[in-house]
Amino acid sequence: MNWQPELDELRLRESHAREMGGPDKVARQHAGGRLTVRERIEKLADPESFHETGAIAGRAEYDEAGNLQRLTPSNCVMGRARVDGRPVVIVGDDFTVRGGSADATIREKPVMAEKLAMEFRLPILRVIEGSGGGGSVKTIETTGRANLPGGVGMSQLFHLTTENLAHVPVVGLGLGSVAGLGAARLAAAHFSVMTKESAMFVAGPPVVARLGQDLSKKELGGWEIQTKSGAVDNAVDTEEEAFAAARRFLSYLPSSVHALPPVTPGDDDPARRDEKLFTAIPRDRRRVYQMRPIVESVVDRGSFFEMGRMFGRPIITGLARLKGVPVALMASDPFFYGGSWTADACAKIIRFLDLAETFHLPVVYLCDCPGFMVGLEAEKAATIRLGVRAMAAMGQTTVPWCTVIIRNAFGVAGAAHAPAGRLSLRYAWLSARWGSLPLEGGIEAAYAADIAAAEDKDAKLAEIEDRLNKLRSPFRTAETFWVEEIIDPRDTRRLLCEFADLALPLLSPTPSRLRMRP
Amino acid sequence: MAEGATTIHAEIGAAVWKIAAPAGTVVAEEEPVVILESMKMEIPVLAPHSGTVLELLVEEGQQVEEGQPLATLRR
Repeated sequence: MNWQPELDELRLRESHAREMGGPDKVARQHAGGRLTVRERIEKLADPESFHETGAIAGRAEYDEAGNLQRLTPSNCVMGRARVDGRPVVIVGDDFTVRGGSADATIREKPVMAEKLAMEFRLPILRVIEGSGGGGSVKTIETTGRANLPGGVGMSQLFHLTTENLAHVPVVGLGLGSVAGLGAARLAAAHFSVMTKESAMFVAGPPVVARLGQDLSKKELGGWEIQTKSGAVDNAVDTEEEAFAAARRFLSYLPSSVHALPPVTPGDDDPARRDEKLFTAIPRDRRRVYQMRPIVESVVDRGSFFEMGRMFGRPIITGLARLKGVPVALMASDPFFYGGSWTADACAKIIRFLDLAETFHLPVVYLCDCPGFMVGLEAEKAATIRLGVRAMAAMGQTTVPWCTVIIRNAFGVAGAAHAPAGRLSLRYAWLSARWGSLPLEGGIEAAYAADIAAAEDKDAKLAEIEDRLNKLRSPFRTAETFWVEEIIDPRDTRRLLCEFADLALPLLSPTPSRLRMRP
Repeated sequence: MAEGATTIHAEIGAAVWKIAAPAGTVVAEEEPVVILESMKMEIPVLAPHSGTVLELLVEEGQQVEEGQPLATLRR
C-alpha cells in the first residue's frame, strides 16, 4: 500500500502549472522579447533556489467522470528563494495567463507572499507585468457585479503593498506593460527598475485615448517618462540587467529593519589618495565639474550603485561601501542648476534619507549647494514646501552622518547639509565657500544705497564684491571655529573610511520610529 | 532634422550664455557645444558623442526650457 496515485496526481497538476498559459501564450511572450515569469524567477534567484508555494492553485477543468482535464494556474507565481545566499520572497505576475489580470488571480497568493516577507523578515522582490491583480472591466461580466476597490473593512494586498516598506526591503521590477495596481506595486518599492522596452502607467493608451491623448505605450509610460518623473528609479536594456540591479541593491541592505546592513570585506586601501581630487574643482567659481568621478574616487572601488539618476538631478543618490560598510551617499551635481535644491531634488532627498534611516545606513553627503532653486517656476513648484520636508527628513534621521562641503553651502538649503539637532562629522574642502546668500545679487540688495549713490555703479558693485570676497575666505570662518575642519581633498577617502569605523558600532538593529512611505 | 543626426537638448531651464561650438565645428565626445547659464554658473551642454555640429537651434542670450532642442550633431 502506498499513496502513488495521489503523488502522480500532484505531479500532474504541477506539470500543468509549469505550462503556464499554454505553448501559444508562452511563444507570444518570447516573441515580444520577454521571458516568462518562471524564467525570470530562475534568473533572478540563485540557481535551483526557488521553492514555490501554491503552484497548483488555479482553475481546473474536469470531465464528466470527475477526472482532471486541465489546470490553468493562477497568474501569480510566488515562493521563497535565495539571492547571494540570503533568503528572499519572490512574487511574480504570469502574463501568459489572462495578461496578468485580476480575473485569473487568486487573491490570497500575492497576499501570502507579502505576509511571508513581513513575518519572516525577508526582502521581497515583485516581478511585475500586467495589471498585477487590478483587473479589467471584463471582470464585471464574469462576476456579474462591480467591485468597490479594497472591499469591506480591510484589504490586505493594498495594505501590504505600502506597509512592507517599513519592515523589509521591497524591490519592484517592471517587465513589460505595467498598469493599475501593478503600477502601484512597482512605485511602492524602495528600489524600482524597468527595462527600456517596458511601459508603466496608471492607465494605458486605450483609456487615455478617451481623453484625446493619442499616445503609444512608450510615449505614455516608457522609461524616459517614468525615470524622469521619479516614479521608477532605474531603467536598463535587458531583463538580465534588471535582475542584476535588483540583486545589487539588496546586497547593501539588511534582510529587514531588525538587522544591520551586511559588512563585506573589501580590498580597497582605506588610505588611498587620489591626486585628481586636488585639481577636481575649478578655481573659477562660475565653472562646474563632474561630481560622479569624485564619488567613485572616495568610496570603495566600484562600490557606488546609483539610484534615480534621471530624477531630481541636482542631487545624486546611491548606495556605496566604505571599508566594506554600506552607506547611503548623496552628492550635489552642479551640472543641474548649479546643484540647487529644486522641488524634485528635495522629493528625491526625502525618499532617500527615509531609506537610509529605515535600514540603518550611515549617510555621507558631498555637498555643493548654492541654495534652493529660485525663480517663478521654482516658486510654483512649491520648492520651499518640499525643501522644508527634506530638512525635516534630514533632522529625523538617527543614523550617523558625515558631510563634506565640496564647494558651496549657501542659504537655508546650504544649512541643510547635516541634521541640525545633533552633532555629525563635517569637513570642508579647500574650495569651500559659504554664506547666508551668494554675493551675486545679494550685494545689490544689501548695499542698494551705496550703489545708488555712486557715480559709476558697476565699479562700486565690483569694489564691494572684491572687498567681501576677501572676507569670506573659509580660513576666516575657521579662525572663529564656525567651521571645525578644512581638509586636503586627497584625504577625503581616509576620513570617510574612519567615519565608517566610527559609525558601525553606533548602528542598532532596532526598527526606526520612522515609518517609511513610498 | 537631418538623417542620422543627434539632437542635443537642454537638460535644465536656463539662459544660453555662449555657443561653444558653432555649426561646422568638429567636437569630441563630452566637449561643450552650448554653454548655459543657471544660478550664476556656466553649465556646459556636452556632445554625447564625437561629430560635426550641423545646426544651432538657439542664440546667445536666449532663454531655453528644459527639454528644448539646442543643436544637432552628426557622427
